[in-house]
Amino acid sequence: MTNYGLVIDQERCIGCHACAVTCKQENNVGLGQYWNRVLTEGGDKMDTPAGTYPENGEDGTLEMSYQPTACQHCENAPCVKVCPVNATYTREDGIVEIDYDKCIGCRYCMAACPYNARVFNWDEPQTVPEDGTGDVPARPQGVVEKCTFCSHRVEEGLDPACVVNCPADARIFGDLDNEESTVSKYIKKYQTTRLLEDRGTDPKTYYIRGEMSPGRPQTSDKMESELDDVSVWSEPKDNGPVEESGGSGGGGSHSSLSNDALPHVPAFEGGDD
Amino acid sequence: MSRETASSRFVVPEFGSAGKLWVGFLAALVVVGVAAWAYQLTTGLVVTGMRNVFSWGLYIMMFVLFVGLSAGGLIISSAPKFFHSHRYEGFARLGVLVSLACITVAGLLILPDIGRPERLYQFFTSPDFRSPMVWDFGIVILYGALNLWYLWLLTRRDLAARGSRLALGVEDTEAGRERDRTLMFWTAAVALPTAVALHSVTGWIFATQIGRGDWFSPLVAPVFIAKALVSGLGLLLVVSVLVSRFTRFSVDREELTSLGKVLGIFLAFHVVYLLAAERLPHAWADHFGFWAITGSFLIGESAYFWLWTVVGGAVPLVMLALPSFRERVSVIFTASALAVFGTTFEGVRLVFTGYDAANIDAAPGISVGGEYAGVTTDIWASAGSYTPTLVELAVTAGVIAIGALIVTFGLRYIPIQAENESTAVATDGGETRGEGR
Repeated sequence: MTNYGLVIDQERCIGCHACAVTCKQENNVGLGQYWNRVLTEGGDKMDTPAGTYPENGEDGTLEMSYQPTACQHCENAPCVKVCPVNATYTREDGIVEIDYDKCIGCRYCMAACPYNARVFNWDEPQTVPEDGTGDVPARPQGVVEKCTFCSHRVEEGLDPACVVNCPADARIFGDLDNEESTVSKYIKKYQTTRLLEDRGTDPKTYYIRGEMSPGRPQTSDKMESELDDVSVWSEPKDNGPVEESGGSGGGGSHSSLSNDALPHVPAFEGGDD
Repeated sequence: MSRETASSRFVVPEFGSAGKLWVGFLAALVVVGVAAWAYQLTTGLVVTGMRNVFSWGLYIMMFVLFVGLSAGGLIISSAPKFFHSHRYEGFARLGVLVSLACITVAGLLILPDIGRPERLYQFFTSPDFRSPMVWDFGIVILYGALNLWYLWLLTRRDLAARGSRLALGVEDTEAGRERDRTLMFWTAAVALPTAVALHSVTGWIFATQIGRGDWFSPLVAPVFIAKALVSGLGLLLVVSVLVSRFTRFSVDREELTSLGKVLGIFLAFHVVYLLAAERLPHAWADHFGFWAITGSFLIGESAYFWLWTVVGGAVPLVMLALPSFRERVSVIFTASALAVFGTTFEGVRLVFTGYDAANIDAAPGISVGGEYAGVTTDIWASAGSYTPTLVELAVTAGVIAIGALIVTFGLRYIPIQAENESTAVATDGGETRGEGR
């Protein structure tokens, strides 16, 4: 079975909001609404750090990081359970999606979602371009909408727009049920957290904190599962006799990853703030 | 025996000029409300004060209130019937009428909250039985139907005796009245658990939600029951006093005082006991010093808290506790009105505790949606804020006016005063309490 999930490497994220903007364009999200937003963990305002400058004899404690936040596509999704008319549902591939023709607009799902990931069309949405892009269904006034993991792209073997357009390769999309997928390996290898884990929603969006990962392996906009040559990243055996393959599992494959001298993977480990 | 003579009478034989003015006023409110709803339907819910962070507002707050209000009448009329008692007989019919009006108001208040009401048929074609809203949809409809049936059952023989078409062909016979009394017992037996289910399920709409602050509490359902007892009985007493003042309806002073005492007990259980039980563990766990714990336990966080606990709790409780005081109709009326007023703010407070703070409130926050002017860049909020708009107030007033019209026409066309009910009920040895007015 396929079970799609997303890994966001917060050590790689540079806070450029490209994922938020490309999401808005790709999905033709109405003005004044965001399905995906980049939050600043730090000060009270966007792009401001918490802490103090190292002056007047004080230690510098400035600290800031970015948390891109959209629908977490929870396994135990409260929004799916509360929807009275089955308009919000979990697809076979694990994506939580809304049937915009069924949604009655009761907004119980917005009350249920602990992440405030959902937006409601309070009036007829104004979109740019006005008639939409034709890639995604138009959403009328009076229904709830949210991130779909770009299911229209995924169905064609493409990664979600936010993943492809992340200039820092901080977003990695893939099949959590496949142990060989990059997302599965990263979750095993790196220290990951999930948002509001104590609520028991079991989100399928994982955030890497601490040690920086090599990021998204492929350079194509195709999904990992569609590519043959991803193996050069995740399984070095095809790329040459760099190291012994298999056997040692996730840990082994990671050490080979960081030793690989492939482009745009930072050579250092444990990138700090 | 003497059922032919005056089994009952209409408390409003016909609408006088004051009555016509009242009906006209309510009808005007309904017209304004419908117009406001039409405007909201075409423009979108953007005309309300709700936005993405604070996505439920006045309609849901009032829904919660009116579901609670619908409890009192049905319980006061069915509980004694279930125990074969004739207590509060004089309030039975009026109580069920008020219950019916309130549950109708509650159900109708959902309509304007829905973004696309024309799709409500989906509740039948594609329901998800995991959703507490589906449970509530079912129980509200069942409860409304039960009220309608019960009101008709209570009055149909009298309607027949009066030759009213509302008897729907039922005839007024002694055997029929006998059979109805059995039916009333069984209806009461169904009505009581249905009422408990209604308030619990409405509470569970909130209590199942892990994402919204204090909503996720097992106490919510019992609190909804207690709240329903307080506000429902409060409203019944308010309406009884008003109706006895403005129509030929007469209340038994003794029973009124007795119900006032019951209201006091409900208030003590709800506002003092359940609230304390809810607050103490949080206050204790969050603070260290004795006085810090005590302070956090006693002092609420918002104006709604004080409106509810003091104006709607402590004050009426004191009024109903003083023996010399609680005999007076004016005191019972005021205390009941305050209890209903206070309970209103309990629902308001509940919705606010769910929405005023976001779980993840890092900057810039959540896009609020709606009326993007293109001038400012501030479409973000990291906390919820809400003020109802004029449109919401107009729609809500219109829906409440429908409830008031139901009560008004009920008083006009249904024999609300059951005068010789007690003599007729004498089958199981019940003594006459009707003292023939």
